[in-house]
Amino acid sequence: MWKFIVRRLLVTFPQIVLLSILVFVMAQFMPGDALTGQVDPNVSPEIKQQIRERLGLNNPWYVQYTDWIGGAVTGDFGQSFRFKMPVTDLIEQRIYNTFWLSLVTLIFMYIIAVPLGIISGRYNDTWLDQTITGYTYLGFATPLFIFALVMLWIFGYQFGWFPTSGSVAPGLSPGSWDYVWSKFQHLLLPALSMALIGTVSTVQYLRSEIVDTKQRDFIITARAKGASESRVYNRHILRNSVLPIAAFFGWEITGLISGTIFIERIFGYPGMGALFLESVLMRDYSVVTALVLLFGVAAILGALLSDIILSIVDPRIRIK
Amino acid sequence: MSKSFSKWLLALMLLFVLVLAACSGGDDSEEGTGDTDTDAKTEEEATEEESGSEDGIYSIDDFSPDKTDEGEPIDGGNLNFGLVSDTVFEGVLNYNFYEGNPDAEVMKFFNESLLYYDNNFNYTQDGPAEWEIDEAGTTVTIKIRDNVNWHDGEPVKAEDLAFAYEVIGHPEYTGVRYYAVEDVVGMDEYKAGETDTIEGLEIVDEKTIKITFKEPNPSLLASGMWTYPLAKHIYEDIPIEKMPEDDATRVNPIGYGPFVVDTIVPGESVTYTAYEDYWQGAPKLDSITLKVVAPETVANALETGEIDVVDSFPTDQYPDVEQKLTNVEFLGQIDTAYTYIGFKLGKWVPDDPDKPDGAGSVEMDPDAKMADVNLRRAMWYAVDNDAVGERFYNGLRWAGSTLIIPAFPDYHDDTIETPSYDPEEAKRILDEAGYEDTDGDGFRETPDGEELVIGFASMSGGDTAEPIANYYIQAWEQVGLKVELVDGRLMEFNQFYDRVEADDPAIDIYQAAWGTGYDVDQRGLYGRTAAYNYTRYASEKNDELLAAGASEAAMDIEYRKDIYRQWQELMVEEVPLFPTLYRSVLVPVNNRVTGWSIQTEWNDAFHEVGVTQEDPVLP
Repeated sequence: MWKFIVRRLLVTFPQIVLLSILVFVMAQFMPGDALTGQVDPNVSPEIKQQIRERLGLNNPWYVQYTDWIGGAVTGDFGQSFRFKMPVTDLIEQRIYNTFWLSLVTLIFMYIIAVPLGIISGRYNDTWLDQTITGYTYLGFATPLFIFALVMLWIFGYQFGWFPTSGSVAPGLSPGSWDYVWSKFQHLLLPALSMALIGTVSTVQYLRSEIVDTKQRDFIITARAKGASESRVYNRHILRNSVLPIAAFFGWEITGLISGTIFIERIFGYPGMGALFLESVLMRDYSVVTALVLLFGVAAILGALLSDIILSIVDPRIRIK
Repeated sequence: MSKSFSKWLLALMLLFVLVLAACSGGDDSEEGTGDTDTDAKTEEEATEEESGSEDGIYSIDDFSPDKTDEGEPIDGGNLNFGLVSDTVFEGVLNYNFYEGNPDAEVMKFFNESLLYYDNNFNYTQDGPAEWEIDEAGTTVTIKIRDNVNWHDGEPVKAEDLAFAYEVIGHPEYTGVRYYAVEDVVGMDEYKAGETDTIEGLEIVDEKTIKITFKEPNPSLLASGMWTYPLAKHIYEDIPIEKMPEDDATRVNPIGYGPFVVDTIVPGESVTYTAYEDYWQGAPKLDSITLKVVAPETVANALETGEIDVVDSFPTDQYPDVEQKLTNVEFLGQIDTAYTYIGFKLGKWVPDDPDKPDGAGSVEMDPDAKMADVNLRRAMWYAVDNDAVGERFYNGLRWAGSTLIIPAFPDYHDDTIETPSYDPEEAKRILDEAGYEDTDGDGFRETPDGEELVIGFASMSGGDTAEPIANYYIQAWEQVGLKVELVDGRLMEFNQFYDRVEADDPAIDIYQAAWGTGYDVDQRGLYGRTAAYNYTRYASEKNDELLAAGASEAAMDIEYRKDIYRQWQELMVEEVPLFPTLYRSVLVPVNNRVTGWSIQTEWNDAFHEVGVTQEDPVLP
């Protein structure tokens, strides 16, 4: 097991290096830089040029890359040109928001997916199953950002049950109970919107796995041996059916830090996804590269985690 | 089955990412051109503004820049301010370091300029400081009022203003504001690190400072000085390059404005409480809450009373909501920005060929495709900008006339005859100038008989970018001119400016916009040595007028008006570019709010603002 993990990590390392180079070179190809947007007659091109020189934007990409990677190894991703603060501090501000939002979303997703998937699979082709399947198709067909806008309009503005933007109510002091509660309230609607749409594929997976497993020989054997229906489902079918979901879990973890662009934008929720989009548009390169690297690392680690989880629940696939 | 579904979903999502990115890119690009505060023509204010328009066409003349008060304000109360932005505010909350406009909106509640403005952006004596200028027109004495104190009780001193000049001029300063201090005597030596003090700054006493400038310049008295002190007792010990990221800037920002910052949630909201010792008296309100509101949801937030007032309302949404939002009054005035179409007439020649971005000057190319002024004028006659304004902006943008916009009421001259939509006139001019269709393809050739295809560069962004560009191309086609989009498509903002700046030979004409700021001096945009002179137009007459407008003689406002009138006429004669659209800015204010205004001369007097009831008025 440990050997397997170590081997996976060794493969991971060059992936990350390659990713960082790729990210850096691609960023260089984007037209414009952080100063292009400053088309202000007061700020002369000479001043812009001096700033570029000081930021090292005029150096060839490999010089910039070595400077950058040198810092990145020690956790220093440089200065955000737009925010005028260290990128590390900036990400720290945002990552908690995204983490909590994603965690709550994940919890909602499983709370919705597991019972629906089991009901749907167990009683397949009944009206109950058809209703659930109908919901999943609707979910597939609905674009997240439209759904989120509709949710915001109905529950945020029409009923006024939820706050409509931001991550916390203004004016509360961090650490107080009101603050935590307000944060949670602000999370609920975006998390719910995302979970209701995002969960449908998991429901479908679970359903089809259960339907599939039901017809396997070992289930028939179990039934023939007189196992009760609930034992058949809980001990035999479910254990086998959650495999792919467990495998996905690692990937879901990745989402915990990368956030989602639509949701964060619509709910004015300052998380990593929104930061990424803004930074790309404003050509705040140091932030873009740091984020892509972070997302990349998270994706790679997520895949690793998935493999590990899978190898725990399903000993057959362990790499020898 | 479900696997392929999620694949499709992924593909769909990626597509939306692109769409979304494209959309918001445009929003940024269109407005990213400078100050947003504006001024209005006061002589023709209409007080009745809820008249609505049956054909959905509005006029800025029907809006008032001042809120009509509906009742007496109560004692105290909280005002909710919406900062309309699709990005967060950066949180660099000091005038000496900030760059993004959202930060300026956050700062205006707790800090202000030492000198106030009138509606022509001239300094007045009504602000936290008084000023006088000497006979030579080079030395300005600024005297800060005795009762102007920082929020921590320390008096705002002359040395605080001097400190701001010292920080901005310092070699280690990382921001972009050097332009604001470079005209002070001795600044060059200080910037080069040769001296530790700036010769042109003299602290007379605790509250009085004398600033000596290199040359007399009328703009000094019209927004041309740096008037934002930096609290020396706080910033003194912070290294200059660390100042923008320090807690003193980001977490506990200080000012001497009517409100004090209470809490900040980075990027999304700020709460302020009243500053009882404000130099103009304690504010009527107890507190203000500012939060960032996305442009997509701002109308809902106004309707539910979540916010009382915003910095600027997306004008394209106005026709959809004006009937519904009965609980707010829309204020409006002319924006300090204009859209224009420019003709590429030459190129930028740097003084030092090794430094293409360094100082240089404009060189006209007599062989440029657009070199014939008749061709340029005909292209102005060929387009119906009022129709563009009505069709795409419901009349909230309208045809521009001269390059000094009506937001400068002293200087804008609306008596100058400018070309307006007249395709027959355009055809006549082109016929006379020898642009005729000789090969029968429906398009005119040059007088030399060569094929004429004009490359048009325009920015992507928003729903209207493409139809407007297409409209112009069709309008020119109507008079027989073949105009094509460069590369056959609209350009992304960064790429657009990269190529326009580099004088890309594929670009013959382009559509862009300028924010005018507060200074009527046009040298920064249209001077011979201005890199932002994107059309690369220069002439002796132009040099002469622009120099005269900024000369000592122009300290006399009548003289200066006359110079800029002549310059506006010159630009209409020569047509290196023509303004296509003037713009309006709309600000909705909840009916419970009193004392609000969007005029420049109001000078953000938030201490006068009150509310008539605790809760917002609902529709």
